[in-house]
This record gives sequence, C-alpha cells and structure tokens, in this order.
Amino acid sequence: MTSPATIAAPTTAAAVEVTGLSRHFGAVRALQDVTLSVPAGSLTAVMGENGAGKSTLMKILAGLDSPTTGTVRVDGNEVRRFDPANLLSRHRVALVPQELALAQDRTVAENVMLGVEPGSRAFPHRRRIDERAAELLDRLAVRVDPRRAVRHLDAATQQLVVIARSLAREARLMILDEPTSILSPAESDRLFEVIHSLRADGVTMLYVSHRMPEVFALSQHIHVLRDGRHVGHWPTAEVTPDTVVAAMVGRELAAEFARHDTPTPVATATPRLRMRGVSGAGFTDVDLDIAPGEVVGVAGLPDSGRIELLRGIFGADPVSGGELTLDGTAFTARTPRDAIKARVAYLPGERRQQGILPTMSVADNVNILALNRRQRFGLLRRRALRRDADTRARELRVKTSSTAQGITQLSGGNQQKALLARWLSIEPRLMLLDEPTRGVDVGAKAEIYRLFRSLADEGVAILVSSSDLPELLTVSDRIAVMAAGRVVGVIPAAEATEEKVMALATGAHTMKEKA
Amino acid sequence: MAQMTAQAAPPTASVADPRSPSPLQRFLHAREASTFLALVVLFALGTLIAPGFVGTNNFLTVGQQIAQIGIMAIGVTFVIINAEIDLSVGSIYGLGAVVAGLLMTSDVAWPLAALGGIAAGAVAGLLNGLMTVGFGIPSFIVTLGTLSVYRGVTLLLSGGSPISLSSSDPNVAEFNLLGQGKLFGLLPMQLVIFALVAVLGAIVLSRSRYGFNTYAVGGSAEAARLCGINTGRVKVAAFTLSGTLAGLAGVLGLSFLSYVQGVTGTGMELVAISAVIIGGAALFGGSGTMLGTVIGVAFIGVLQNILNLRGISSFWQTVATGAVIILAVAADNWLRRRSGRR
Repeated sequence: MTSPATIAAPTTAAAVEVTGLSRHFGAVRALQDVTLSVPAGSLTAVMGENGAGKSTLMKILAGLDSPTTGTVRVDGNEVRRFDPANLLSRHRVALVPQELALAQDRTVAENVMLGVEPGSRAFPHRRRIDERAAELLDRLAVRVDPRRAVRHLDAATQQLVVIARSLAREARLMILDEPTSILSPAESDRLFEVIHSLRADGVTMLYVSHRMPEVFALSQHIHVLRDGRHVGHWPTAEVTPDTVVAAMVGRELAAEFARHDTPTPVATATPRLRMRGVSGAGFTDVDLDIAPGEVVGVAGLPDSGRIELLRGIFGADPVSGGELTLDGTAFTARTPRDAIKARVAYLPGERRQQGILPTMSVADNVNILALNRRQRFGLLRRRALRRDADTRARELRVKTSSTAQGITQLSGGNQQKALLARWLSIEPRLMLLDEPTRGVDVGAKAEIYRLFRSLADEGVAILVSSSDLPELLTVSDRIAVMAAGRVVGVIPAAEATEEKVMALATGAHTMKEKA
Repeated sequence: MAQMTAQAAPPTASVADPRSPSPLQRFLHAREASTFLALVVLFALGTLIAPGFVGTNNFLTVGQQIAQIGIMAIGVTFVIINAEIDLSVGSIYGLGAVVAGLLMTSDVAWPLAALGGIAAGAVAGLLNGLMTVGFGIPSFIVTLGTLSVYRGVTLLLSGGSPISLSSSDPNVAEFNLLGQGKLFGLLPMQLVIFALVAVLGAIVLSRSRYGFNTYAVGGSAEAARLCGINTGRVKVAAFTLSGTLAGLAGVLGLSFLSYVQGVTGTGMELVAISAVIIGGAALFGGSGTMLGTVIGVAFIGVLQNILNLRGISSFWQTVATGAVIILAVAADNWLRRRSGRR
C-alpha cells in the first residue's frame, strides 16, 4: 500500500491527524478542540481519567461516532463519512474494543474473515476461509482451531481473534482500547509480543490504557486528555509517570497510593466471616476468616475460582458444601436477597452486565436497595429518594450533572462509585468486591481505596478479589492466593510482594519445592 | 508539539448538581415527546382533510373504539418493559369474552360472569408467566404457542358457534351498560374504564416498588437479581396482569356487542403491541411509560378514524397501521441519534 517515498520519512509523516475536534452531546462537551497527530508506524498512547474523552475520541476515529466540529485525516486523506465500514475499508482504521464484539456461535475463521470472505459473495469458499484465517492467526502466534466456535475461547484469545480480523481487512492503524483490562499478566505479555510484531510490519497503533507500566514500555508518544481537552503531549522517553499522572488528574497524587502496611489489629473475637471447607462450582474446600475491619485480598488467575468464591458467599451461585458463619451465626445465602438481608454487599466484576441497571437513572441505581425506607401507602416517595441519592452520590463524589441522568452516561469510574453508593445504603457488615477498580481511572481509584480504608476503620469486613496485584498490595491487610479453586496461601500484606503472590498463583512455588 | 501544552482546564462539573432540567427540556428529552408531536401532527392533518373530524362526538367515538385495545396495551406495556413479549393477548381476549358469554347464557349474575371472564384471562396470563420463567424459554415462543392453545380452547368452549346475548334479559341489559353505557350520559363507560386502568397502571409503573423492579429486571435481569429482586416473580406478575387486562377487554367487547365467536379478538395482539412500541417502549426492555402507551393507542385510534372518515377501506387501514409502526420507531431512532441521548 505504502509507496517507497513515504517509507523514506517514517517519523515525520502523520498517519492520523486530528484537528480541532469537538463532540458535544447536548450541553455535555465530551471533546473540546482536540488537536493531535499519530506518526506513521508509531505506537501512540492516549491516557486520561474516565470521562476525559478518550472513548469518544476512539469512537470517532473508528467511525462509531461523528464529530460536532473538526477534521480527521488518515494518511493525508480527510475522513468525510464517519461510519465503521468507511473507516475500515477506505482508511484502513480498525478498532479493537474493550467489549469484544464477536459472533459467539460462529467459528473463529468466520469471525476473522467476516465481510472479506474469499470466494463469491453469496457462497463463500469455506476451505479458503479457514486457510486464510489460519494464516493470520499464525502470524499472531495464536494456536487455535479456526473451526472452533468463538464461545469456547477465553477472553485473551478472543481479543487476538479481533486483532486477526483487523489484519484480514489490512488495517494500517489499529486502535486498542484498554486491551489488557481483560487479560492476566501472562496474557498481557503475549499481547505485547503481538503488538511488537505488528509494529515491525508497519502497523500504526493508537493505544488507550490506564496502566502506566505498559504505556511506558510500549509507546513512543503519550497524549493526555482531561475533561475533553488535550492537555499534554510528550515523547515517552522524555517524561516520567508522575508528570503524566499529574496531567491526567490535574494534581499530584503520589501520596494517595501509599501502601497500607500497618495491619489492622485482628481482634481475637468472633470473625466477621468464617469459612470452613466451603466448596462450590469453581472452588473447593476453602478455609478463610475475615475479621471486622479487615481487608482481605484474594489474588489468583482469572480461572482460579476467586470470582466464583465471592459469588458463592453472596448466594449468586449455589454453595455445595462447607460451613459459613457471619458474626458467629450460621450464614447460608441461597439467593442474593438472603445475603442483602444479612447486610452483605457484592460488587460484581462485570459492571456493565451485572452491576448497573442500564436503562435507569443514577438516582434509581443508587436507591434500589433502600426503597423500603421511602415508601408511603405502598408508593415510593420519589422526591425523598432523589434527595437520598443526591446525598449518597455527593458523599462518594460521583461526577454527574444530575442524579436524574442515565447511569450509562457516566464514565466507568463514576458508575463504579455510584454502585458503591448503592451498596453502602444497606450499611454492609461484609463487602465482597470483585475487580472494584477495573476500567477505573487513577483519580477515582485513589478515592475508592480511601473509601475502603475508612469503611474498614468503621469495622466493615472487606473481601477484595482482583487481578491487579499492586492494587491488592495497596489495600489489603492480608492476601489469600487462590489457584485451581483452592486457597494455596495466605500472606500478611507486610510480607507480600508481587513475586511471592504470582509464584503462589501460578504454581511456580510448587515447581521450586519439587526441584 | 513536543513540549507540555498543559493549560488550566475549567473547573470540572459540580458534583451531583441538584439543579433539574427545565420542564420544557424534560419534555423534549422524554421518550414520549416524539410520539406526542406525531399525534399533534396527525390531529392537525385530521382537522384539515377529514370531514367531521373535529367534534366532541367524533372524539368520544374514537375513545370508545380504542378503549379495549388500550386496556390490553397497558398490560402488554408491563410485559415489554420486562424485556418479554405477550403474543397471546388476542386469544385471551377471545377466551375472556367466550367464558363470560357462556356464564351469561347459563344465567349467572352478570358481575360474576364478568369476573369469570377476567379470571380466565388471569389464569391464562399466569400460565404464560410460569412457563416462560419455569422452563426458561423465551416468552416469544411460549406466547406464540399459547396464542394457538388459548384460541383452540376458546373454539372448543364455544363449540364453534357464536354466542348471542338477548337484551330482553334484564341481567344482560345491566351487563351491556359496561360496554354501551355512558357516564353522565356522555362519556362512554369503556373509555372511563380504560382511563381508570391507565391511571392505575401509570401509578403502579412509576410510583410503586413493583414498577421500579419492572424497569430494573427489564434493563438487566442479572443486575436486578444481584440486587435481591426475585426476577421470576416480577415477570410472572407482568404476564398475569397482561392476561387479566386482556380478559377484561374481552368482557367489555362482549358487553358492547352482545355477541362473541370463537375467533373474536384474532389479530388484536398485534395492534396492542404496536401501540406500545409506537409509544416508545423498547423491545429490549427496561424502558417505556404508561403515558407513551396511551399516546400510542390514541395515535392508532386517530389514524384509523381519519381513514374511516375519508372513506378509505379497512384493508388500507391495516397497511397504514403497520407502516406507522416502522416509521415511528425509525423516527425515534433518528431523533435520539441526533440529540446524542441514548
């Protein structure tokens, strides 16, 4: 595609040039006069808190949304029609979204070759589809049968299938939207290798992420958006993470992430939650105590059973055996309702599918567990409820123009804060939190950590499951590591390191013992 | 461009700003707005092109004509907000009418006969709900099945021959007041019943715990379950309500005509569902309002009335109703994309 003349000056030619881009939704300015360029062949990172406008910018570049004003040029050609087909086929821009949109029941090959099937349009050539898909997957070093249904693949492999699909369309610019948010560390490493090999082939990348280490390891340029404006741009080699974070949040943050190393004095009295031999689908024979005021982290690979353990305690999925007590009395939640009555809270990891009520307002989302306090003659007192929600949202600093706004109009971090406000309304004794800061920006993260700390100080017991190890090390008093459904170790926070936890989680420690 | 271009950003939006949008803004952003504007346009059109359109008598006639469909649509609204569908309401309408008719011809006192018809509808709706939730199969399939099953039962009950009520019977004469009577000698009783049901439905949907749960379950059943809502019970209740109101509509139909056949009510489910959709409820569930449904029902009623007054054949009316559904949803989609709201 590219002529020799343009290859001669690869660093100066801009693959993408965004000029004066604005996008307004009514009174909301999602993007304001953003100008930036992505040099051809580079990996350029776009960073910013949730709600900073990153997603809107990416959507526009992928043709999923169109700007209110401003222009986008790709390889010098102005984009005139903002729709995904045009951006993909004419400008060769492909988006790898956070929420992977694959046809789950179709095969890998069909998904990869969708829309560019070899053979005639009406009757695609099956064998050649499979062959061509296999070639592309090979190039990404993905070992998967192209004839398998996508449904059976894990999230990491599905993501690579989406990347292979972009390659099938000969994408020259790939937009990766928080690609590692759904990946384990090992899977992330595999993705980084793929990114390196694609760049070697001359693919330009626009990379959106919250994670500093990977951005600094991968990118050549970093752009920062804040409140819809472009507020900073540096070559990666000339900037420090602290400077970038400061630009993202508009203030210094270092102190917020001070590690919590002073373990909460564990009362010898009754534990808040006591588990003995608890088993269910995905976890086996779990023994674990959590004291009032204690934060216990659960580390482990995504399939270690930590997610299922939390769901089991909450009654979202059945527990098949073992004994649970809550403050000394037997506790078995057969349904979430039982758990809520016992003042046990559960924040699911899949915020969009299981957390938010997508068609309802922020106020309704916050109020759903506290409706019975505001009823008169069997009717809800809407105004009082609205005030309750305003108060709760303000306490947790949920950034919203009004609590009457739809919850889906909030950024991920603010949605999460709204959900935490929801659960605080039951005055929980025990909080079960799955990936509490997934897709949440640094600023909100710090606020959420502070909240956990102050809740624990009030005596709330907190069980946090997370794939973000630094997060667990920051917030926990103790870390329970799970592997293959079992708790394989409990480490006090003061002694825990990422290496120790990973060794337990991946089974590396057992390899050493045997050797 | 290499240097830092940081600039003071304006202060961020205030936290949980208590200001509400103005009533006009709220109206324009409400889902019902586009349907309501369409109804206004249709009204203007009717005034211009349909002789005899403007007038209390004609409006009351329209009210009389839409009452039964409207009552059904109110039940269907609950089902659709639950992200389910009820295709069997037309058959339940027939079932309710035939059961009430058989009771009337067996000389059962009219209030009991009416209740019998309504109860038959309630049971039919309850079964729809129990099967949908219990078997875990889509309500589209369940009610597609019961659309046929309930129609078959209705035909069996009526024995294939029409039931006529003789108005010389005082029991029947009193019963007829339900469908033919006029409150204060002016307002058709059916319209009054429709209005009552609509107001009650609106209160339940927007102000009750049950209504709140309906939106939650329809928006995301799993999120609602994790908030402790018994999602199955919410859905079963919606189907039962839908069946009950379809039964009531059937009883009113019988009272209005003094006549019912095994095939009565065939196709009414599509009109009722159309009204709900025109009223702005999304088939994905979680959104829709009672006001929207009432406007949707009025829209279909006024459209048919205008076509009637212009002497256009009822075949064309069927075509027009279908075309309007597609146009309504397309227009609503377009408007929402333009204004950027979801």
